Amino acid sequence: MDATVKSDFITKDAPHAPASKPLMFYRPTAKTGLLSWLTTVDHKRIGFLYGVFALFFFLVGGFEALLIRLQLAVPNNDLLSAQAYNEMFTMHGTTMVFLAVMPLSAAFFNFIMPLQIGARDVAFPRLNAFSLWTFVVGAIMVNLGWFMDSGAPDIGWFGYSPLTSRTITPDHSTDMWVVGLQLLGVASIAASLNFIVTIINMRAPGMTMMRLPVFVWMTLVTSFLIILAFPAITIALVEVMMDRLFGTSFFEVSGGGMPILWQHLFWIFGHPEVYILILPAMGIISEILPTFARKPLFGYPIVVFSGAAIGFVGFGVWSHHMFTTGMGTIATAAFAVATMAIAVPTGVKIFNWIGTLWGGHLMMRTPMMFALGFVWMFMIGGFSGIMHSAAPADAQQQDTYFIVAHFHYVLIGGSIFALLAGIHYWFPLIFGRKVSEFWGKVSFWVIFVGFNTTFFPLHFLGLNGMPRRTFTYDANLGWNTPNFVSTVGALILGLGVAIYFIVMIYTYFRGEKVGRDPWDGRTLEWSLPNPVPEYNFKVIPTVHARDAWWYEKHHKEEIAKEQAATAKEEAAHGGIHMPFQSIWPLLVSFGLLVGAIGVAVIPREDPAEGFWGWKIGISMLGAVILVIGIFLWAHEGNEGYHLHTEDDEGHGGAKKGAH
Amino acid sequence: MLPVPLPRSFRRLASILISFSALFLASGCSALWRMDGHQTTMITEGPVARMQTDVFYVTLWVTLVIFAIVGSVLAYAIIKFRAKSEADEHAEPPPQGHGNPLVELGLIAASVLALVVIAVPTLRGIWYQYDVPADRQAEMLEINATGKQWWFRFEYPTELIEGVGPLVTGNELVIPVGRPVRVNLRTSDVIHSFWVPKLAGKVDMMPNRGNHLWLEAEQAGYYWGQCAEYCGESHAVMRFRVIALEEQEYNAWLEAQKQPARTVTAAAGVAPGAPTFQFASFRRNEYGFSPAWDAGAATAPLDLWRAQQQPDANEDAALVERGRDLFGRDLMNQRLCFSCHAVRGHDFFGVTGPDLTHLGSRTTIAAGLLENTPDQLARWIMNPGEVKPGNIMAVTYEAANIEISEDDARALVAYLRSLK
Repeated sequence: MDATVKSDFITKDAPHAPASKPLMFYRPTAKTGLLSWLTTVDHKRIGFLYGVFALFFFLVGGFEALLIRLQLAVPNNDLLSAQAYNEMFTMHGTTMVFLAVMPLSAAFFNFIMPLQIGARDVAFPRLNAFSLWTFVVGAIMVNLGWFMDSGAPDIGWFGYSPLTSRTITPDHSTDMWVVGLQLLGVASIAASLNFIVTIINMRAPGMTMMRLPVFVWMTLVTSFLIILAFPAITIALVEVMMDRLFGTSFFEVSGGGMPILWQHLFWIFGHPEVYILILPAMGIISEILPTFARKPLFGYPIVVFSGAAIGFVGFGVWSHHMFTTGMGTIATAAFAVATMAIAVPTGVKIFNWIGTLWGGHLMMRTPMMFALGFVWMFMIGGFSGIMHSAAPADAQQQDTYFIVAHFHYVLIGGSIFALLAGIHYWFPLIFGRKVSEFWGKVSFWVIFVGFNTTFFPLHFLGLNGMPRRTFTYDANLGWNTPNFVSTVGALILGLGVAIYFIVMIYTYFRGEKVGRDPWDGRTLEWSLPNPVPEYNFKVIPTVHARDAWWYEKHHKEEIAKEQAATAKEEAAHGGIHMPFQSIWPLLVSFGLLVGAIGVAVIPREDPAEGFWGWKIGISMLGAVILVIGIFLWAHEGNEGYHLHTEDDEGHGGAKKGAH
Repeated sequence: MLPVPLPRSFRRLASILISFSALFLASGCSALWRMDGHQTTMITEGPVARMQTDVFYVTLWVTLVIFAIVGSVLAYAIIKFRAKSEADEHAEPPPQGHGNPLVELGLIAASVLALVVIAVPTLRGIWYQYDVPADRQAEMLEINATGKQWWFRFEYPTELIEGVGPLVTGNELVIPVGRPVRVNLRTSDVIHSFWVPKLAGKVDMMPNRGNHLWLEAEQAGYYWGQCAEYCGESHAVMRFRVIALEEQEYNAWLEAQKQPARTVTAAAGVAPGAPTFQFASFRRNEYGFSPAWDAGAATAPLDLWRAQQQPDANEDAALVERGRDLFGRDLMNQRLCFSCHAVRGHDFFGVTGPDLTHLGSRTTIAAGLLENTPDQLARWIMNPGEVKPGNIMAVTYEAANIEISEDDARALVAYLRSLK
């Protein structure tokens, strides 16, 4: 803001005066306004932006889902054309997986994880901003097709080759989908590396690995899954891009390519992706249940271990998505057994959640309702999952509505319920206001009823032989009633989600204000005032036990003495170090967008014109912006400024000054 | 029901909702959970499908038992340990225990045991469904099925026709009862999946890969099948039928199919007014529910299929009326139908589309989508893109500027329906 004075954190003895730097190394200092948001490196603001974008795309994907359900409400409906329907389910899947659930998890990783480990930010604040903006750029690329003649991609979210072949799907929207997913992969991997380094290096003193909150553990496991799983799809997408743009034959059947290879590459990413979607949810549930049961998580080590085990085994089960591709007996058997094995650590989590409730004092607040809803719904989804781990049974269920029912129980009843619970749970921390219990519970019950009305009948529909991804069905196959009921349920679910969001927006402006720690929380984020000050912790806490804040609350004197000592020590080092904002992450992402448009959107010119043209020109321009952005980013230095907090309450009353 | 007191209006809303859904479940539930459609996986007519459904029941019972146990414990915990009042919430916190290793290890062991129960039939089933059992391979019939956007081509490699090659049909596969049938699965474009739920689970038709499945029909019947892997714009309307016949009838059918297309015949026709059966309902009950859901009819469709094999009384005229302005067989030439379709014996040799040599004997057209009636056939010939968006016939019409008038269509229909 005003009185910030630069100091070079690394070379403290020879600080640079701001004026001695060239103009291009100007660091924005605005704390409000558009520029402050575009150049922010604060993990809380980045987390908030992730959440806003993710919820926007959640609503977009939900709208697509409603159109799908309306089309299927009655047999032989023609609300949507075959083409439009195929675009709808392709984009519904892509949007919900990559643009809604993953970034919403990332929002919680960003906002909550550093607070839970007692850190002041993530390890690489500017890389964090880059992840956010690259995610936005990727989301734009994937959705650009809606606004073009070719329409959105219609290849399914799984993009099975050879449907992605140029000869079968020449539309540019497929190129945009391919490039957009690449960008989303870049964003996810960069963010994950950041989280891993943060969790390993920036824990508060005493916060040993086995004292980490389970949500942080799940962040860590998920981040490892992302950095190990995304390279597989990156390679596959590069190969598709090569096939489409340069005529190679990785998957091109006429050139001897192997479409089955795409499926293996896709699912060795795609199955860990399932756990990337569900492990953060399990982390959130493992925070909420102990808080509202007022007792520690039952069997913490085994919950953590089973989370990690799911992560490991999750890389060995991908071919259960391919039981009907003719893999042969041995491979099918191996993957069937591995898939059953992964049910054990998953079941362990459920047992431990029940153990957590056992003997507790359950406070039935809205987050707890969503969390308990999660446990029930996830159980149902898990059991139907076991049903199709039995490969012979799966031969009938694969690609039917039974599968659709299964994974919506896991992803809505699981992931989405947990994320909605998380929003309720941390809303007081983030915004300092509390959602009305009445309206929170109304939204829960409407969502719960709507969800089950939508997806439970789909089990019967699938067993009665209705295949997925079909834009229409005959009236004489016995599928009419479940389809109609499901559509009614989808409308109820839509109503519930609408209530949820209206209540959230109302609460943001008018909700009841609450003070610190309204739920009697157990983990460190609840030790902070709300809204959380920019520097998070006035004094870096020292951790003595697993539920650190609970321990602090019950050992107040000891902690106060200790914090005073730490504060003194920190002041001697120059106070709280804060990083400067930076414009370059945004520019680098913008370069990626320009390059991506060059690669995917600009039509290939007449080959007779040769190499040079718009396509290569725009791509090169993007590359130049990218390189310049990275260069300047690298050379502006990781500078920051120091803050001194004076008031004892630490209610954001920080005074800035030089050391 | 909720610990925090709620306004009366909420309680009233909840009770209305509950009574409404109870009413709904009581009245509409049978149609909601009914699983006896033509394409159901729960009523099986062959050993492969039966084994698969048996494995499903094993998984179902094991998981239901676990769900009942775990669910009861969870429900009990929620009810028993719920804070009953505001004061209860702020009572002294419960003991802060971190777990019980013995309980946890016990539960893990129990889950592993439950999974073994599922794993044993699963492994047995994987080997069983893979190929025809060794002791039955001698009596096995082999079929080559090829998926195309968006129809199925069936070839009988062992049934050779002098001077032509193997017998080929489209979209309606006829097999003998009681013999294992090995279906070799191929595709000429994208991935499709061959699925006749009552006979066997699906296996994909993968490009550059030789997949197969086997199935066996235990009784004569008419079975519904559908492509089960998303294969592009008209995936939803890529369907087929399997007709299982007793050995003797099957052999007679083979003989008839091997004949070139009919030129003249004197066979007796079926009396008009025979009972009709809904083989397909695409756009038949637009925007509505089927008035007569015909799932109970198990043998009726087969009888009607049999009737379809016989020429109608008035059909021969269409074949011999050469010299009229609108003669279907000539239109096959003029409208370029021959470039994609074959009619053996009538000098049409196209290979892109389905073989039409005995089109009149099939119950459905357009890959199991429309009933093979004159009206539907005319509709299909005139507007293929409206019936099956993006299909190659519609694309070709556009590229070659083909338009078929209603009169032309009627003539073509008369000719095509006579091909039995």
